[in-house]
Amino acid sequence: MPLCNNKVADDGTSAQPLQEGKALVDSLIKVVACYRHLASCVGGCTDNSSLRRDLQQTRERAQTLALSCRNHLTARLRDKTLAEAERKETELLWVAFSSCLELLHADMCKVFTMVKHFSLANNSAMVQTGIQGGTTEVAARALSLPDLQGAGDGSQTSSMEGQEQSQLEQEIAQVDRTLEDMELKVNVLRWSVEALGPQYADPVSTDSASLALLSIDEEAAQGFCRRSQMFAVMMLCGVAIFAMVLSVCVVFLV
Amino acid sequence: MTIKNVRDHGQRYRPRMACLKKVENVVLEMQDPKTGVKSQTQRLVITTIPHAITGEDIVAWIANRFKIDATEARAMGTMMVAFGYIYPLQDHKRLMLKPDTSLYRFQTPYFWPAQQWPVEDTDYAIYLAKRNIRKKGMLELYEQEQYNNLYKWMNHKWDFIVMQAKEQYRAGKERKKPDRVVFDCQERAYWVVHRPPPGTVSAMDYGHDRMVDPNMEEKKTPDYYRRIIMFTQQCIMRPRVKSSVSIGALVKYTTTYKEHDPFLHACLPSNPWLTDDVTYWTLNMPNVEIPTKMRVERWTFSFGELLMDPRGRADFRLFLKKEFSGENLAFWEACEDLKWGAAETMKEKAQQIYKTFLARGAPRWINIDGKTMDITVKGLAHPHRYVLDAAQTHIYMLMKKDSFGRYLKSPVFKETQKKAIAPEPQRFTETQLEQNAKRRRPSLSPIILRQQEEEQKAKLAASGPVDITQLCRFTAPVPHLAVYTGICEAQSTASPGFMTLPNSAACPSPISVAIDSTPASERRFDGNGGPSSSHFPSIAEASVSEEENQPPAPKSRMALSLSRLLRRGCNAPSVFASLSPKCAVASGGGKVQPLGVEPLAQPQPRRIANFFQIKVDIPPECRIYPIDSEDEEDDSPDTARGGVKEIICPWETVTKQEGTG
Repeated sequence: MPLCNNKVADDGTSAQPLQEGKALVDSLIKVVACYRHLASCVGGCTDNSSLRRDLQQTRERAQTLALSCRNHLTARLRDKTLAEAERKETELLWVAFSSCLELLHADMCKVFTMVKHFSLANNSAMVQTGIQGGTTEVAARALSLPDLQGAGDGSQTSSMEGQEQSQLEQEIAQVDRTLEDMELKVNVLRWSVEALGPQYADPVSTDSASLALLSIDEEAAQGFCRRSQMFAVMMLCGVAIFAMVLSVCVVFLV
Repeated sequence: MTIKNVRDHGQRYRPRMACLKKVENVVLEMQDPKTGVKSQTQRLVITTIPHAITGEDIVAWIANRFKIDATEARAMGTMMVAFGYIYPLQDHKRLMLKPDTSLYRFQTPYFWPAQQWPVEDTDYAIYLAKRNIRKKGMLELYEQEQYNNLYKWMNHKWDFIVMQAKEQYRAGKERKKPDRVVFDCQERAYWVVHRPPPGTVSAMDYGHDRMVDPNMEEKKTPDYYRRIIMFTQQCIMRPRVKSSVSIGALVKYTTTYKEHDPFLHACLPSNPWLTDDVTYWTLNMPNVEIPTKMRVERWTFSFGELLMDPRGRADFRLFLKKEFSGENLAFWEACEDLKWGAAETMKEKAQQIYKTFLARGAPRWINIDGKTMDITVKGLAHPHRYVLDAAQTHIYMLMKKDSFGRYLKSPVFKETQKKAIAPEPQRFTETQLEQNAKRRRPSLSPIILRQQEEEQKAKLAASGPVDITQLCRFTAPVPHLAVYTGICEAQSTASPGFMTLPNSAACPSPISVAIDSTPASERRFDGNGGPSSSHFPSIAEASVSEEENQPPAPKSRMALSLSRLLRRGCNAPSVFASLSPKCAVASGGGKVQPLGVEPLAQPQPRRIANFFQIKVDIPPECRIYPIDSEDEEDDSPDTARGGVKEIICPWETVTKQEGTG
């Protein structure tokens, strides 16, 4: 499946700082979305070291993006010479950025507790969630890499896990501090910010296949009844047709 | 910025959710490939998805593991489904375990109901937006409503929410199709648990949060042991009752209140919490005109019930008014007001109550025995909230033993009983119930309710028909103190020349002095040319106007007078007692003296002062000042206060002797 990388602005050719800020925030949103997908697999049957590695890399990317985003937006908002319309746009971006960071923070905290509970090194029981495939594609999307990463070393020792955990803890604390700093440095009044976009997101594409799968889920229970009903109706119709044919033959013969 | 989890300081520990950790352990046990629940594959149209388990397998496993029978295992399984650890694959909205071949699957730990992660509305908004992206119009009605609400509340983040929804959707598309389906099912199940559709009962309703995690092991510090010691000591010290006695009391209580309990019996007309129809509440408002039959029946259970119900109390008040013994109830209510009222007015209130009810010659004198009176008077030297408790209990017992019985046999009560309504039970169809649920509105704000209460009290105080033995300033409604005094009805029993009050026979002897003084007071009043007739309505108007126009005035006047008295010193040799004539709130043919008309009658008190020969040693602070207390406006050095009856407050003599003044 093709990866759409058009939102990542790491080349800096975009002239407008507003566009740059928007691009940064968009990529952060993308990375956080991918992180959430990855986090939902922790503790499940596909939880393995590559998942943990993907999580870590996605996290790092998210943090670098967050840092650059923050610097950019803070600089712009503290700039007193900014035009009113641009300030409004920047404030919108700011709100989006802070909400994104909060989501990331929440996900990171959840992953932290889950990882403590479902330790790979100690071979704790993983929940059979029904997931089969890996999440490497999602991670690749997050990291904006066209190729998929090779699988790393298969096993993890408990010391490595401990290290990862402490690192995660530090990262959580860092995001915490970032959020705090943000609130202190720039004063954006939430109630003065108004959303520009539509209330309903436009359908990206009609994904009829998974929809069909899901709806079949629901109808499976009623499927049997319907089938038996249809069968009975068909039988009746058949019998009726047969009787008509017979009577026609009888009439014809007579 | 949303409230962050980490700063929660543990406010999200849910006491009834201590079972969650235990359920998690059970779920992990179920995962064991050898000893866990058998899993099968779910066949969908194109793909198969593993790790599906049947309901009957779950029930069998639980029954085997915990050695319980099938029904209990089923209940436990339903609990696990209701919490969201297992979700049904078919019929996903009904969170229960069906012990047949219907399929379930384990929820991923990310979506487990954890104790410390609150369910965020932002996530819910993103989820709903995602569902909308997939197919427009797929949201159900209640989801639609919630979506619109969230759009209003979180409008500032809305662009982010839409963008995040899109990105999550796109990231989901990176996964394989069966995984996508599974993830969608997981998310959907999560939100069915945490945002239940209307009409369903949610297992996540748990009551108040606690500061302490009940699952956490407490460290055994000396403080901990100190607490345990205190707790056990208090347990030992508790008074004990024989179980036969306590059980007997319980049995009696349950048999009496059985039909009135909304859990055990149907509420008439219908329980508002179940049917969303508020007729029951409107019929049982505190001051409704016609009570319901159930309510009236409750009054007969005990005297306490009658008094606690405002409507019952009003009925009782009416009965007492007819019997001319309303002072007991008024005293009791005044004591309640003292107990529950604000601290700043407490001393004044206590004194007020004493003067109105307890003192010799008080206008609404209540009958308590000597010992209680002793205790009360001693206590009033240092008044506090519960100083009148002994007297209040005595009066309560008096009312309970005497008036309550008579009330239950009285025509007032029988009338109320006859008029009481018994509403029909309501029967609602499903659609009507849904409509009711939509029409739910919040009740009146407590601020408005409090205002209504205050108005009610003021009305009562101003116009409540109450027997009153003598009238004086303190029996007129004092605006800043809601003491339950009232004004007598216009009973013009006295001859025009007299300003004696009804029930004066009940007054102690000093009143006879007052009677002698009436000609003088009449003289004085005549000189003022106040409004012509003081009948009941004008009293009410005057007092109401007093209240409205000059609420701070009485207080300041008292303060002024006090200061003046102190300046003059305690050399009030000929301070005289004359109660009734000085009361401007007159009944009968007297004239109402509105407070503004004082300065006119200035010279006359001095004359009257010389008229009497009674010398009473009265401390300055304790007076019943006449309403037309021109004396207080009077800056004359004349010490004769003239014609004012003092009700002696014994505690104040004591304090005076201790060196005040």
